[in-house]
Amino acid sequence: MNYQAIRAAVEGPILTAFNNLTPSVPVYFDNITAVPLNTTTEYVRINVTFGITTDPTLTTSLDNVRGAIVIRVFTEKGRGPARNQELINTAVTVLNVLNNTGKPSAGVFFRVGQINGPSFSATDQSPHFVGRIDAGYVATDLS
Amino acid sequence: MAKGLNDAMFRAMRRDLRESVTGAVRVAAVEIMNDLAKAGPAYSGAFSSAWYAIPPGQEPGGPRSEGSIYKYDLRNVPRGRFTRGSYFEIVNGASYAPQALDLEEGLFISQLDVDGEVIEPVKTPTSIGERTGKLRGNVSSGTGFAVSTAPLDWYVNYTSGGSMTRALEQGVKIGFRDGPFGGRGGSARGFG
Repeated sequence: MNYQAIRAAVEGPILTAFNNLTPSVPVYFDNITAVPLNTTTEYVRINVTFGITTDPTLTTSLDNVRGAIVIRVFTEKGRGPARNQELINTAVTVLNVLNNTGKPSAGVFFRVGQINGPSFSATDQSPHFVGRIDAGYVATDLS
Repeated sequence: MAKGLNDAMFRAMRRDLRESVTGAVRVAAVEIMNDLAKAGPAYSGAFSSAWYAIPPGQEPGGPRSEGSIYKYDLRNVPRGRFTRGSYFEIVNGASYAPQALDLEEGLFISQLDVDGEVIEPVKTPTSIGERTGKLRGNVSSGTGFAVSTAPLDWYVNYTSGGSMTRALEQGVKIGFRDGPFGGRGGSARGFG
């Protein structure tokens, strides 16, 4: 099972979408240290988790991976939700495009389920206003 | 005469069905709560003991115990709670549940004893070292005393990543098998 290809299938388009914004917004992935603690810089954090690798389906193929993707958007606290929602919308658009993309002949076929959120939180301990969406996904390795 | 017999049979069948569904729901709840206790963070074990299956609107209790990862059984899902149907929610009653579930950021303090040594958690840590963010699971290897006993976003991974669906299926299967229609809990009255 090509876990790296599965990650790339979703992380790549999200990274591109945020890079294409003006100004671009930094995106951080698993096992990468984000901006220093207590900074107010805005950024996006993506966490791709793997839940079940061998998921029997109606076919004999076991190359179905299920898991979850969590996207958190960190924007400055005390400035209203607009900017955060704008960035969340960029992520939701990417997930919807992925869902509307047809099955390729090779590579990874990635679909997300219901998108939960966005939910927003701002705690005393953090300089950020945090917006969050999550969704389950099914990825099929066709290679 | 025949109508009376039919009515009695239908009443008995309805009773058996309700009993089977309630049994299945209770077993499924136990399966899911045990999974959550094992998958989630467990430092003192208190959080793992604070899962409750309750009807919507009811308040959960607090942690039941600490010192180990809590093991749930059917006594934690009393039959009496499901007399009005089998719709329920599984919630955690710990005051810091949003932080433990990685839904909100928080302030985390290293658990050191009087000698400055890290207190051993009841569960094997998934990462020890430096805190890299304000979410519970933001701990990476490096110099530091931060300890995480479950990966970041363990809860979403469990609920949306397929494992909860599998536990629900397993619970319902066992629940029906042990109910009136399963042949283990006695014959179904409707088909007696």
